Amino acid sequence: MLARVIPIIPRRKHIEMSAHFQGHHLPVAGSKEEPLYALGARFETPEALVHAVDRLRGEGVSLYECFTPYPIHGLAEAMKLPKSILSLLVLGGGVSAVLIALSMQLIPSCIIYPLVVDGKPLNLLALPQYIPIVVALTLMIGAITAVTGMILLGGMPQWNNPMFAWDLFAKDASRGFFIAIEARDRKFSTSALTELLHELGADDITAIHQEASEGQ
Amino acid sequence: MSTPSIITNAETETPDLHVLERPPQVLNNRGPLWVTDAVCSIVEGKTPLWWYAAIAFTGTFAAIGGACILYMICTGVGVWGSNNPCFWAWDITNFIFWVSMAHAGSLISALLFLTRQKWSLSISRAAEAMTVFAIICAGVYPAIHIGRVWMVWWLFPVPNSYGMWPNFSSPLLWDVFAVTSYLTVSSLFWFAGMIPDLAVLRDRATTKVRKFAYGIVSLGWLGTARQWRHYEMMYVLLAGLTSVLVVTVTTIVASDCATSVVPGWHATIFPFYFMVGAVYSGSAAILTLLLPLRLIYPQLRDLITPSQLDKVCKLLLLMGSCVAYVYVFELFNAWYSANPFERGAFWERFTGSSAWYAITCLSINLTVPQLFWFKAVRRCLPLVFILAILCNVGMWFERFMIVTSTLTHGFFPSSWKDFHPTIVDILTATGTLGIFFTLFLLFIRFVPIMSMNELKAVLPGTQPHAGAGHSNHSTEETH
Repeated sequence: MLARVIPIIPRRKHIEMSAHFQGHHLPVAGSKEEPLYALGARFETPEALVHAVDRLRGEGVSLYECFTPYPIHGLAEAMKLPKSILSLLVLGGGVSAVLIALSMQLIPSCIIYPLVVDGKPLNLLALPQYIPIVVALTLMIGAITAVTGMILLGGMPQWNNPMFAWDLFAKDASRGFFIAIEARDRKFSTSALTELLHELGADDITAIHQEASEGQ
Repeated sequence: MSTPSIITNAETETPDLHVLERPPQVLNNRGPLWVTDAVCSIVEGKTPLWWYAAIAFTGTFAAIGGACILYMICTGVGVWGSNNPCFWAWDITNFIFWVSMAHAGSLISALLFLTRQKWSLSISRAAEAMTVFAIICAGVYPAIHIGRVWMVWWLFPVPNSYGMWPNFSSPLLWDVFAVTSYLTVSSLFWFAGMIPDLAVLRDRATTKVRKFAYGIVSLGWLGTARQWRHYEMMYVLLAGLTSVLVVTVTTIVASDCATSVVPGWHATIFPFYFMVGAVYSGSAAILTLLLPLRLIYPQLRDLITPSQLDKVCKLLLLMGSCVAYVYVFELFNAWYSANPFERGAFWERFTGSSAWYAITCLSINLTVPQLFWFKAVRRCLPLVFILAILCNVGMWFERFMIVTSTLTHGFFPSSWKDFHPTIVDILTATGTLGIFFTLFLLFIRFVPIMSMNELKAVLPGTQPHAGAGHSNHSTEETH
């Protein structure tokens, strides 16, 4: 269930075990007894990463993720990521905030508790006096939507991740540009991908296993 | 100078246009790894002695301020010097002073981000922090100045057993919403911008406690391409919302005064007046905070460059000049309106018993920012520091002048009465200063004071197909 909500957790199907390494002596992260999660690799430059993504997509690999210390221009385009829907969500949040703010002011002022000062109107004729609060609330709810939307769309909060089993990544992800090809990808093959990643100039190619969970 | 050369080059069909070179974002050709180390080292290093001394000092003031607030709540607003015509005095003066100071932080980080002014990247995080802390200081006053603080919830439209609702036509209620929104939005802007950098601290953490604490607050950020995609969209949206909010909040705070019919306040120039005053005092505050930081942490000298500080000084000059324009215009308007009350209010402001506020304010705000016309002044950082503090002193007197000199001399000379602050007033005000600096010290110590991800993204050679300037990788190794 959780795996459907948070896309990063792999479903435990079609998973290749570490026994199928076919003579490749890859460094292994995590616990060897646990299922293989992904094949990780590190690139020195953002160009190499973008190039690698192009090639991998060409090979039909689709379940992979790139990790960068700062946003890379052109990476999302290379990965064919759709435009973020966050702006739509914020628009929705803003429009509903306008409605909430107007009704919050008009219903008490006109119906429940009309507070007439100097005989001035309180209905829609007096709309300008309601605008400041409408603006303030719209901006506030818009901002709350933007931040919570970014957090949820980005699969957060999720405090643990199979990637953390890989020390090189977990200790200092800002030292390079990482890619992880998930083991449940249909085109996944440790040997073929290792070769391809080598060819693309990747360093530190590592088989990332899940970490042994003490509870099980 | 360059024009003739353009013409001659155009004739030979090889246009050699004289392009002004953009000053480097980070000096000495530092690479992205150096930036990470430089910023993280402030948080990761051993807590320096000066920090303990400083926080003990500011914390004491904050605690005394807190005690004064408690005393005021237990006793009543009578412990302040506020009197019958002057119901608002130091409370609203300090409220406006702090909330205005906050504006420059938002403006620098949001508006300059939207206008692609990359020079502000290294100071934007500190500016945002300043915003959040200044709003917290500002927020102290509206809540306590109502007297019976346990009834503060009456300000919010909450259904209650009395069947009462707030008056939505009142600018004072607009204030409640404006300040609440401003605190919420600027805190979110500050925090959301920090998530990737907190994740860097989590990754680099060496102790379990740090790993856990930074792990929790960074929400499991990994820096995946999808996360960055949404993050960048969010940042643009938040910057847009914050920029609008800054203008809204100042306008609403200015409306507190401008929508009343009190002479000296009833002016349509007030929103503009407050806006430029806000950015003016905020830019001065940023300089006051950043210059000592640069002195204490030498690695920041490459990140907060003289050229960036120069630009903040120019912003200060521009806004200071706008403030001067408003002063002159207000005086002109008082005369030109031919309204005896309006004229009387301004005459009283400069000749009455409280003339020294106005004289202090004008003598500072009309002269000090004008010194920044000179490059020698802008480049002499100790002088800039002193002048920036002076600017904020001037701005505090401006707020004090606007609030008290107007209220103490209203329509009826029979009700005129001067305002004198009590010791509780003074200690509460220094208490807010204590709160502000305590929070800022905690900020320096526990979170990255610069947006590392934004800085790294604009360094030369850190983006694919960035053209020239791929020289960074060789230089990184040397640091």
